[in-house]
Amino acid sequence: MKNYGIKILVIGIGNCGRADDALGWSFIDEIKENLPDNYDCEYKYQLQVEDAELISHYDVVYFVDAHKEQFDKGFTWGEGHPVATHSFSTHELDPGTVLYLSKSIYNKLPKSFILGISGLSFELKIGLSDKAKENLSKALEFFNQKTLNLVT
Amino acid sequence: MSQKLVIDPVTRVEGHGKVTVHLDDKNKVTDAFFHVVEFRGFERFIQGHPYWEAPVLVQRLCGICPVSHHLAAAKAIDQIVGLDPEDLSLPAQKLRKLLHFGQVFQSHALHFFYLASPDLLFGYDADPVKRNVVGVAMEYPSLAKKGILMRKFGQEIIKLVAGKRIHGIATTPGGVHKKITVKERSYFLDGKDIPSIDTMIDWSAEIIDFIKGYHQKNKVFLDDFASYPSGHLGLVNKENGFLELYDGNLRATDADGNITLDDVPDVDYNQHFYEAVEKWSYLKFPYLKHIGREKGWNRVGPLARINICDGIETPLAEKERQEFKAATNGKINNMTMYTHWARLIEILYCAEMMKNLLEDDDVLSNDLVRKGKRRDEGIGIIEAPRGTLIHHYEVDDKDRITRCNLIVSTTHNNEAMNQAVRWVAQNEISGKPKVTEAMMNQIEVAIRAYDPCLSCATHAMGQMPMELTIFDQYGNILDEKLRY
Repeated sequence: MKNYGIKILVIGIGNCGRADDALGWSFIDEIKENLPDNYDCEYKYQLQVEDAELISHYDVVYFVDAHKEQFDKGFTWGEGHPVATHSFSTHELDPGTVLYLSKSIYNKLPKSFILGISGLSFELKIGLSDKAKENLSKALEFFNQKTLNLVT
Repeated sequence: MSQKLVIDPVTRVEGHGKVTVHLDDKNKVTDAFFHVVEFRGFERFIQGHPYWEAPVLVQRLCGICPVSHHLAAAKAIDQIVGLDPEDLSLPAQKLRKLLHFGQVFQSHALHFFYLASPDLLFGYDADPVKRNVVGVAMEYPSLAKKGILMRKFGQEIIKLVAGKRIHGIATTPGGVHKKITVKERSYFLDGKDIPSIDTMIDWSAEIIDFIKGYHQKNKVFLDDFASYPSGHLGLVNKENGFLELYDGNLRATDADGNITLDDVPDVDYNQHFYEAVEKWSYLKFPYLKHIGREKGWNRVGPLARINICDGIETPLAEKERQEFKAATNGKINNMTMYTHWARLIEILYCAEMMKNLLEDDDVLSNDLVRKGKRRDEGIGIIEAPRGTLIHHYEVDDKDRITRCNLIVSTTHNNEAMNQAVRWVAQNEISGKPKVTEAMMNQIEVAIRAYDPCLSCATHAMGQMPMELTIFDQYGNILDEKLRY
């Protein structure tokens, strides 16, 4: 597999025991076998402070998570930006805060993108809903095109 | 008119807590409570599952200290397959300990750097927008970097032994699943890919120097704030009474250092403890039977452990313990804020122990699992980061769990946290004309010293924030402040 030179990280955020909250992890499941060597993948329940250190080692980071909002195309896509928010606990840091910490502590700000895939059900259940599966397919197709058909 | 203050949720703790403070018509505090309002019922729904599933299932109680639940349950299940802790092979014991020290190390690092340090570095009355881990990262990037890498080191140790950082699986009844390899341990020793274990020891010592410097500058505050008499409970080494986190005998002292419980093996715990309940909290109140509900409650965790132990087996941590004891002229320490100092001594102890274990060739051995004669009951006690953790299971002849009792560290600390809340209410809020954000945070500072994990304690899941409400003498809400 060709190595494109820059280091790229795909972070899937979610919980496979909570139905469509598994979208981030399912996304990784679908792409990880066919990614070029310069890609790494991580499964995360939540983003945490130490993820600032993790992303500081990469040039490009994709954050992939389930989204409660129903988008017409099944997903939302946007560029990540560092934001200095504060949290009451170690839980639920958002990508912007992690980017901010990476910039503040490590002087590294990878280019980043956030892919939010619409999910419908977040109850205690294993397995995606049919609609979430459909949205996942659309998101994968979009991602493959965006990233120059890296996934075969 | 009398009033009631409610802080809901309590911030920078693990789990969802709530504080209520009752005021009379002159703003004098009449009572204060720390409520835990989550409920999960783990003890119930594990019934009917095969006993070997327990270490895997119960660790889902928590995303911060799953290893502690995994190991406490594993120790209990070892007994069900007929093995006491010393019956396991030495390699299995050492690999479990390595996992445990990695867990305590990363959990303590998380608490100190992410949750507690903002109060110490900026002051409890600083702007809350700044008083958080992002603020620490901005103003103290070197400290933040070390905190992150120390937590990462502990997590990597967990991944090494258990396969992944959260909810991995290391144990099997009677032992562990796998050894580690020379290449794997080199990752932690040579410093090429991550800072080495020697660097972890150096950084742990540095952060103790920080807290000692803080102590010199803020001695009056540390000595006074949320200071109250209590019992202290924990495990100590069975042979010499030294600090013990994985397997030992129970020991407790009263507030003056008199022994109230000693040389109690884990299997006898239920001869000595009752659990009281209050209608205003899902969290129970354990206490020593022979002393009673009023005075038989104990603090657990770093302060209690350093108080009750006779020494520490690693040289650097032992030196720090002696200095810590000297601060109270060798007497028992009932000062809540010293918990932070004690926690950092344990960080150093864990780092030294991890080095010893990584350099021990037993962890490379294939002698991993032993077998024994089946029993119907198992009790596992471990010192989790936050204190004494008890898992107790009974099984039927079809290997199904019929009864489960979990007494979690934060549950032991329930009365202590309520005392802390009352202390702050009486000393910092009572009689003041207005309740400020700094006053609210002081309540949280007192609770936070215990590093409570409310998800574990109620075996519950949910969000973690704090709320402050004001009630009049008739129970009507006069004011409410929510913080998320």
